[in-house]
Amino acid sequence: MAESLSINGQLLFAGLAIGSVYALVALGFVMIFRATNVVNFAQGEFSMLGAYFLFSLWHGLKLDYFAAMALALLIMVGVGLLFEISIYYPLRNRTFLPVIIATIGASIMFQNGALAVFGPSPEKVRPVVETVEGTGGITLAGVFFDYQYVIILLVTVLLVGLQYLFFEYTILGKKMQATSQDKDMARLLGIPVVYMIALTFIYSSLLGGLSGMLVAPIFFVTHKMGATLGLKAFAATICGGFGDVRGAILGGLALGVIESFGGAYISVIYKDGFSFLVLIAFLLLRPQGIFGEKVAEKA
Amino acid sequence: MRMRLGWILGLAAVVFVGASFTLASAQAKPIKLGQIIPMTGEAAESGKYHKQGAEIAVDKINAAGGINGRKLQIVLEDDQTTNPGGVAALQKLLEDKEIPMILSSIRSTQVQAMLPTINEAKIPVAIGGTNYGLTHSGSQWVFRFRPHDGMSAKVIAKFLVEELKHKKVASIHASDAFGNGGRDMLVPAVKALGGEVVLDQGYNNQEKDFTAVVQALKKSGATGLNTYMTFGTDLGVLARQIKQLGAQVTWVGSPSITGVDSRNLAGDALYGTYGVTDFHVDASPTSTEFAKAYKAKFGQEPDLYAAWCYDAVLVFAEAMKKAPDLRADNLRKAILNIQKFPGAEGEYNFDQNGDGLDHYHIVQNVNGNIKYFKTLRVAR
Repeated sequence: MAESLSINGQLLFAGLAIGSVYALVALGFVMIFRATNVVNFAQGEFSMLGAYFLFSLWHGLKLDYFAAMALALLIMVGVGLLFEISIYYPLRNRTFLPVIIATIGASIMFQNGALAVFGPSPEKVRPVVETVEGTGGITLAGVFFDYQYVIILLVTVLLVGLQYLFFEYTILGKKMQATSQDKDMARLLGIPVVYMIALTFIYSSLLGGLSGMLVAPIFFVTHKMGATLGLKAFAATICGGFGDVRGAILGGLALGVIESFGGAYISVIYKDGFSFLVLIAFLLLRPQGIFGEKVAEKA
Repeated sequence: MRMRLGWILGLAAVVFVGASFTLASAQAKPIKLGQIIPMTGEAAESGKYHKQGAEIAVDKINAAGGINGRKLQIVLEDDQTTNPGGVAALQKLLEDKEIPMILSSIRSTQVQAMLPTINEAKIPVAIGGTNYGLTHSGSQWVFRFRPHDGMSAKVIAKFLVEELKHKKVASIHASDAFGNGGRDMLVPAVKALGGEVVLDQGYNNQEKDFTAVVQALKKSGATGLNTYMTFGTDLGVLARQIKQLGAQVTWVGSPSITGVDSRNLAGDALYGTYGVTDFHVDASPTSTEFAKAYKAKFGQEPDLYAAWCYDAVLVFAEAMKKAPDLRADNLRKAILNIQKFPGAEGEYNFDQNGDGLDHYHIVQNVNGNIKYFKTLRVAR
């Protein structure tokens, strides 16, 4: 009994941990979708870039780990702004399709750019908490808690909370929401739409970069890391209902847990299949996502 | 008028330069050797080492005067780490009729995809893929420069069951041709020695969480573990989780466990584990000589990716010397006639199936360094 409890506890923790990584990336999807009604397929690549910037500053320039992280986040601000100016802005008055294709193009460019600059060998980054004995975690009641995953879970919860407060209770958040719901109306009300959208891209880039830095010690840094993350996060976003912050978080966590238990009790080989089965089920049965969309006519 | 003069002079210059090129190339036109490596995609990390290993062999041959007075030259194609990419790269090289022989993939799944094309083209192709079936499906044109998985599985079984006395063995393997092939050879080999495979666990490449796998491993009661894993990143994640979740097993891995990338990523999680490898710097004088040349040129230790390509180029060059007409059937005969050829991997004696080697070295990860443990030979 105690054994099965610890086994299931371990699976639950692993699922929540992986799920919170999906959720973090999914948050980025949601932000940009809310502001622009466009899916940013380069969202996973923001994670990859963040991880590589951290690796270069910490391992390459031998900076202090936390200073390197702060600096890398600063660079991600630039990346987000540049992305908005070069990918979204020129196409802002077109339909959503050219923008989506442009983001796919950017994603290919980022991947191959990273391959060209950093080479094909996977790299390693230290975890936030370094332990002496080297397991990087602690065993409580038969369940091993990886500190890095605990931190990822905490960061996810924190960011979700902040994001919720930001959108519901601040003027800036309201302005951004108004922008996403009706750009023309927002413009008439004197909201600087262009700045709002730029701000969203910057925040999404930061979010992606941070998630990449946090998973780097676990998944390792490769030019492909963003693609895998992006795909699962995309599935999570759809389950949660595009544009719904709570839904994206819940979708991410649910996917992680379903994968973890499905892998243990059904089949490890079909693990990836489970998340896409859930995705298909949602598309067929509840395309509006877990909570449904606030503004039905948005899409 | 002045313009016309310029035209005539220019034309004359072009003709002259062109003629001198043809003259020079008729004297010593290099012999092309095709090589298919991953330059992009998941396995791009290993492509670099393939290329560098072949380069050392080409340097050696050309420094010693080339092949019957002609220099050797490698023509590279990218397989994109995919099966269609591999087949496309092969077809591209086959279109160049000046290429008499080709070095292809270390990935069994890719070689399998290329086999029909190889059999149709009927030219000798070197492979590094270790799936048993690749040289046992009736093809006359593939030549393997690494021992096959049947041998590695036999060596692993012999070492785990006979020498270390582990009767309960677990198999964790990638669910691709390489991983499943390794499992298929391990199970009977363990049984034949009186042991039992208590866990047969596949997983998909690029897996990020092995919690369920490690739990199954602990539950199985296995004391010995064998892995056939295709990617270093997967191995790094598994090693870390085996350590974290406290699975107590003696781990003897397929060659990828000794790779530079796996060791770099997994760090101390792999300390104390064993692996089988077909290449080790200390295994023979030829291996040591190769390692020295490699380190002098690239500033790093060579690994098995580099070693098999080095050997393949040397053996193919030797065959070209023996069959100067470079006709495929004569080259094939020349390779089969090569006996006791010293390579970086070991001594090559090709059998009718195209297998050149029949040994494996057992090595151990001692604080991150791969130390030579012993060499086990098995029946072909």
